[in-house]
Amino acid sequence: MTSTLPMRRSAGRRTDHTIVDSDIHPHALARDILPRLSAQHRRRFETFGSRVPGPPEIYPRVRNSGFRLDSWPEGGFPGSDLQMTRDQLLDLYDVDHGILIPLQGHSWGVEQPHYAAALCGALNDWLVEEWLDREPRLRSSIAIPHESPDLAAEEIARRADDPRFVQVLLSTGGESGFGVRRYWPIYRAAADAKLPIAAHTGGLEQHRGAGWPSFYLEEHVWNGNTMASLLMSMLCEGVFTEFPTLQVVCVEGGIAWAGPLMWALDEAWPRLREDVPHLTKPPSEYIREHVWFTTQPVEEPDDPEHLEIALRHIGMNDRIMFASDYPHWDFDSPQQAPRLFPAALRRDIMGANACRLYGLPEREVAA
Amino acid sequence: MTSVQTAVVDTDVHCSPKALSDLSPYLDAYWRGYITEGGIALSPTQGGAYPPAVPTSGTPAPSSVDELRAGFLDVRGPQLPQLNLAVLNCTTSFHCNRNPYYEAALCRAVNDWLVAEWLERDDRLRASMVVPTLDTAAAVAEIERIGDHPRIVQVLLPVRTDAPWGNVRHRPLLRAAAERGLVVGLHAWGRIGNAPTSSGMTHTYLEDYIANSQIIVQGQVTSLVTEGVFAHLPDLRVTLLECGFSWLPTLLWRFDKDWKGVWREVPWLDAKPSETVRRHLRLTTAPAQLPRDPEQMREALDLLDAGSMLLYASDHPHDHGSGGERLLAALSDEERERVLGGNAADWYRPA
Repeated sequence: MTSTLPMRRSAGRRTDHTIVDSDIHPHALARDILPRLSAQHRRRFETFGSRVPGPPEIYPRVRNSGFRLDSWPEGGFPGSDLQMTRDQLLDLYDVDHGILIPLQGHSWGVEQPHYAAALCGALNDWLVEEWLDREPRLRSSIAIPHESPDLAAEEIARRADDPRFVQVLLSTGGESGFGVRRYWPIYRAAADAKLPIAAHTGGLEQHRGAGWPSFYLEEHVWNGNTMASLLMSMLCEGVFTEFPTLQVVCVEGGIAWAGPLMWALDEAWPRLREDVPHLTKPPSEYIREHVWFTTQPVEEPDDPEHLEIALRHIGMNDRIMFASDYPHWDFDSPQQAPRLFPAALRRDIMGANACRLYGLPEREVAA
Repeated sequence: MTSVQTAVVDTDVHCSPKALSDLSPYLDAYWRGYITEGGIALSPTQGGAYPPAVPTSGTPAPSSVDELRAGFLDVRGPQLPQLNLAVLNCTTSFHCNRNPYYEAALCRAVNDWLVAEWLERDDRLRASMVVPTLDTAAAVAEIERIGDHPRIVQVLLPVRTDAPWGNVRHRPLLRAAAERGLVVGLHAWGRIGNAPTSSGMTHTYLEDYIANSQIIVQGQVTSLVTEGVFAHLPDLRVTLLECGFSWLPTLLWRFDKDWKGVWREVPWLDAKPSETVRRHLRLTTAPAQLPRDPEQMREALDLLDAGSMLLYASDHPHDHGSGGERLLAALSDEERERVLGGNAADWYRPA
């Protein structure tokens, strides 16, 4: 297989394509958050911390807590150090733009409403002061108290004037399906601010219909299914018809499952229309108008041509965006990842599609 | 479709008692009292699975052999292949209440009713037996009681469960089936009351319908393979019924990739998940969720290896639309012969 993306030959000579990494995970330490909380929330944080279990507590990662072995800064945590992120990602791979996704929002956003809002607000303040102000290549997602949608909408409105916040962070597992009406203030605020929703896998995974799995392997494979469930919830509950301009980015859930999901929805919809009267055209059309995907961890059939076929069936190649998932164990490097994608799509996937969604400039190359 | 000469096996034909009173002869006095005094009745929607007026539900499932013959078995036109065998699936116990003793009694009654009123009245019929899902020991006892009946070919399990079927708590049930050469069938729908998706309860039937015909089953497949069920029970065969099939290739691409990444967690897996699945699983043809474009449909069937993996099912009386006809028309003659009967004959090895 050949790659149309030449490797970076030497410092100073840039390739002619833009690289956007749409899934980078910063991690705030307690010392970053405490000074940004009111006295009351600070005492709460020091006393109780966060009561919401993160996915690794239920499904432990197999090695090194699920992080790259080389990503632990002295006295810190993977993703807590901007300079290390520059060294290992932004500079090393000549990344033009990186989108931060602070996964602590998945847990903190589920706490008692005002505490959740304070934690997410402190997380966003830290991102502004310690990452966005110091590194112009970075953009961020807004962490929100997503189980308190009214407060989440306030946080979105508060950040909307800062153009460095380019999307609103959601998880895939909520107390209810994220399509249900109680979450709509989030989508209204995002649509008003012209910001996409980025649904990153994780959060509170509930019973799943089949019951709780036992292993991380199962949980990780299920990431595609949980993303499909999220899209179904949004579609069937009417989010895409209520908010016709809203865009939803599916982060870290894979892509290839979207074809079979759309076939199933389009096969069933004509027979079940009374159940979803708000859907006035085949469900696949809503998905193609509202949904984007990030690549890591993209499905890998034995024959790469099979992925090309699956992507052609999906028909959304202009809505697929490269992601590295730094600093997690299954990191895709911007240098190696293009080989996973069909040659004709590599330039768009590596940067052009993300630039279009997020309004970012493409790389200028001297003639 | 060209006329079919091959032996046709319909692997998913539904039947259901008209009322719980149909099962009275097969229940003891305590359970008859439990039902009549408690006012317990069959759910008119089968636990939300098949609301009667919904087009995909079709007509009510036949409640007697005569009804099945008159409405289905003996009514064969050019579009309907001549049946050699039909596998009866009764899902009446799937959405049972949470009393595990009642669930066991209900399953026993359904099985006795299937044998006495169906299998012994028409040579073309085979059946899946049902087992309680809340009490593994009772499920094993039921398989030991009736699983050796020559016309019982499968143990039918709901795809919606408290815990996934690969979970170690269920292993004795799967072992009891495998030891008798019974196929284990996972069929759409099942346990009510649990959230049917990863994010909670749903408000629309469409969401439930797709979750049951495509999504939940993927968690079950992943569970069965990951927990080492097939390494433990190398003779076990599993059929996925009314759960769709077009989602399988993309699931296996994810599964193989993730296994390569975290194989340390599951050292008992000695082959790629996709190889294990292709050896131990088959899927029924209804509902057929396929692209409309004929070229894309053919590609989807090739990715699946449809000629090897699929077992024909009418899913009578359910009606999922035209996908099943489009599927059969798209298969080569050789593939169609395999799907209509050859695969099922190899898989179920019916007496």
